[in-house]
Amino acid sequence: MILVVLDHDGSKLRKGSLEALTRARKLAEALGAKVAGVLLAEGPAPVEEARGYVDTLYVAELGPYTAEQWAAGVLEAAKAGAKVILVPSSRQSRAYLGRVAYALKAGLLEDTLDSWTEGEWVYATRYAYLNRVTQKVRSGLPAVLTVKPNTTPLAEPLGGQGEVVALSVPSVPTVEVLERVQEEKKGVSLTEADVVVTGGRGMGSAEAFQKVEELALLLGGAVGATRAVVDAGWRPYAEQVGQTGKTVQPSLYIALGVSGAVQHLAGMNKSKFIVAVNKDPEAPIFKQADYGIVGDVHQVLPALIQAVKKLKD
Amino acid sequence: MPIDFRLTEEQKQLQALARRFAKEVILPVAQEYDEKEEVPWPVIEKLHEVGLLNAIIPEAYGGMGLKMLDEVIVGEELAYACMGIYTIPMASDLGITPVLLAGTEEQKERFLRPLTEKPALAAFALSEPGNGSDAAALKTKAVRQGDHYVLNGTKMWISNGGEAEWVVVFATLNPELRHKGVVALVVERGTPGFHAVKIHGKLGQRASGTYELVFEDVKVPVANRLGEEGEGFKIAMNTLNKTRIPVAAGSVGVARRALDEAKKYAKEREAFGQPIAQFQAIQFKLADMAIGLETARMYTYYAAWLADQGLPHAHASAIAKAYASEVAFEAANQAIQIHGGYGYVREFPVEKLLRDVKLNQIYEGTNEIQRLIIARHLLAE
Amino acid sequence: MKVVAVIRQVPDGESRLKIQGGRVDLSGATLILDQMDEYGVEEALRLKEKHGGEAVVVGFGPERTEEAIRTALAMGMDRGVHVVFEGYADPVTVAEALAPVLKEEAPTLVLTGGQQADWDSQALGAALAEALGVPVVAWTTALELEGETARAKHDLDEGAEWVRVRLPAVFTTQQGLNEPRYPTLPGIMKAKKKEIRKVAFQGGARVEILEESIQEKARLQKVLDGKDPVAAAEELVRLLHEEAKVI
Repeated sequence: MILVVLDHDGSKLRKGSLEALTRARKLAEALGAKVAGVLLAEGPAPVEEARGYVDTLYVAELGPYTAEQWAAGVLEAAKAGAKVILVPSSRQSRAYLGRVAYALKAGLLEDTLDSWTEGEWVYATRYAYLNRVTQKVRSGLPAVLTVKPNTTPLAEPLGGQGEVVALSVPSVPTVEVLERVQEEKKGVSLTEADVVVTGGRGMGSAEAFQKVEELALLLGGAVGATRAVVDAGWRPYAEQVGQTGKTVQPSLYIALGVSGAVQHLAGMNKSKFIVAVNKDPEAPIFKQADYGIVGDVHQVLPALIQAVKKLKD
Repeated sequence: MPIDFRLTEEQKQLQALARRFAKEVILPVAQEYDEKEEVPWPVIEKLHEVGLLNAIIPEAYGGMGLKMLDEVIVGEELAYACMGIYTIPMASDLGITPVLLAGTEEQKERFLRPLTEKPALAAFALSEPGNGSDAAALKTKAVRQGDHYVLNGTKMWISNGGEAEWVVVFATLNPELRHKGVVALVVERGTPGFHAVKIHGKLGQRASGTYELVFEDVKVPVANRLGEEGEGFKIAMNTLNKTRIPVAAGSVGVARRALDEAKKYAKEREAFGQPIAQFQAIQFKLADMAIGLETARMYTYYAAWLADQGLPHAHASAIAKAYASEVAFEAANQAIQIHGGYGYVREFPVEKLLRDVKLNQIYEGTNEIQRLIIARHLLAE
Repeated sequence: MKVVAVIRQVPDGESRLKIQGGRVDLSGATLILDQMDEYGVEEALRLKEKHGGEAVVVGFGPERTEEAIRTALAMGMDRGVHVVFEGYADPVTVAEALAPVLKEEAPTLVLTGGQQADWDSQALGAALAEALGVPVVAWTTALELEGETARAKHDLDEGAEWVRVRLPAVFTTQQGLNEPRYPTLPGIMKAKKKEIRKVAFQGGARVEILEESIQEKARLQKVLDGKDPVAAAEELVRLLHEEAKVI
């Protein structure tokens, strides 16, 4: 069995789950195995949608997320004999999968770009050294893989409705959730966004980010920020792109008033197209950019918004 | 003793600390303080916090007892980020050295310990408006009156002179005795009649404070005299024989920075359709800079090693100081040349290297004086 | 109370990396204590300063890792343990190697970085927690001890939360938790006399690295002059629409 942990937002599957399913089907074919899904939820879960993609769907409602509880859920589902476990990459999944991999004595391949099998080996490519090096790695079975977002075509539903199996997961009450600090959600999630518009120190103030948000919204993208911006308190940490923030790989990355420190580049250098606007022609970001404008971001950004609006009309 | 070019584990840690400090604390503010011509106190406080300020003071007086080779390792790193800022702790060590060489236990305890307990500086005052290189021709006069000396005169080009807790002042008891009439006195800040006037408009090293010190009937207790009357000149020379080595280390730091900046620019800048680093004319310049850097560092280490072994080092420290400062000046010069017009403006860091390192050819004995010292050694054989 | 900070030595993010024979060659790189682990060392020191007890640094990796352990000792950690292993080991294998040492130390808390700057792995903290049979709190930004439990704030995929966790537990650390101190010169001198116990590890890794390469994407580097912002913006949007076809 190839087990896919289906990530969701309570009402529908996340895009990453459909990418993981595509990978799972490919491995399943090569290994002559079946694909099963597991849906772990704090409350409601998109069970009906999920059963459209798999023959067997394990479901468990576990209460507030903890790495222990989620690991227990995956391990319970894996008891049916999972050779490979695939999960969309996220901070949370990479934490609980560390537990799962250890418990199964499995090889853990994190944030994979691609994966395939040869004999009893699972191969994958992934980035290392702060996104600067591409590694080809392999593990014996069992293996646990996390799937990097925006790397794989989305799976189509199978056409049938898979069997739903309710899992009974032992409760692991070692962590008590006291308070959720939800950040206001604007638009798409940063790591899944196809367009990311990031503001750097050159934006000058928290207020100036209104225009960044406007451009992001216009392009159907997400807002990103550099470490300097987050340190200054202009934007929340959740938006930080870079070594100590999130790693993104959108089709279009727009860096506004970003100088391009190595730590920032580590989080976005694999984007398909990079655009930079900076008043300093020597800013390192221009070396990484496909397109750039040397100019005052406070003049260029409103002009960009107008130009995009014009194109859309 | 076998030759061993490896740094010890502690020296590597020390180097890593100084390198990180230079990058995170000095580099971001170097240009700002250069432009403002101001002493960066926050940097001095931070230097004290991590233990890099006045670290040559022995452990017995609350310091770290840093050896000369350690100091050279630190000096290269700090000067890499800013030679002007490095001059501040370096000049403080220059003030401390005569106390180490000639002070009594009581004086060491009284003068040195306070410099380990808070961010504080020392200074060394030898040069005068009318004599720089001719150190024996002092005009600042000290007259003994009971349990104190009365000091009158003016000192010139004194690094840290206005910030220092105390200054070692070299004065003459009798100008006719020339170097045999010199006395070394520790003058504490706030002593009545002692004024420091900051010298503005320096070409480089603008983050370090340089002062003219004026002494008008300044009463200095005899208890503040280092060594005996008449030993002052010897104390001053023995001090400089040591402290020229950190000047050389600073030059090595500047030379390394110049090479790094030039390399970086040469790889990025394109002309005639390729990076200028592809041109032999540029490659030769880079290679010459590397030859200078490597040999200057190696010789500076050697001079430091001699000093640490207690072996004669006046000759070696003079060679190191003159050679490294000339290597660094030429490296800065060539780094500007490689940058072309961009090297001549402040947006790029190389013009500052040249402005800063020019002083390394002048202070703590001009390079002409170093050559006299070297020649004297040669001819005395 | 005893706090263990688990650390590794990695290349500085700004070091240039080279590929030699299909593998990353670190011979020219500056190697440092992983900055993510450094937050763990700092937190261990703060906890010790506040609550007393002992702060132990446990390093995993080749001989050279001792340098990073010394750095942690110079920052103020009391003593070190070095589990020596040459070559690559995946997080599950590292956790297996460290488990006996950590069980013997029996710390109140274990701290380690949220992500490794060489393998880009985020799993070590969780794998260690599984090995020890204790909970893990990933991506911690605040940590307070309350007797038998700890209160911690940590990041989720979206947002963050406060949790109360039973001790012993593993916390993975990151930017925002604290501001790591410098290893001071007095600290470096004192570290000379501190003990580093060496432990050999004879295991084999579960994951093999077969090949490494650096594929820097060639960028178009079309730079427009923004003196006329409207014209530049319109030209950029045209290029993104017609040439790159991304909007």
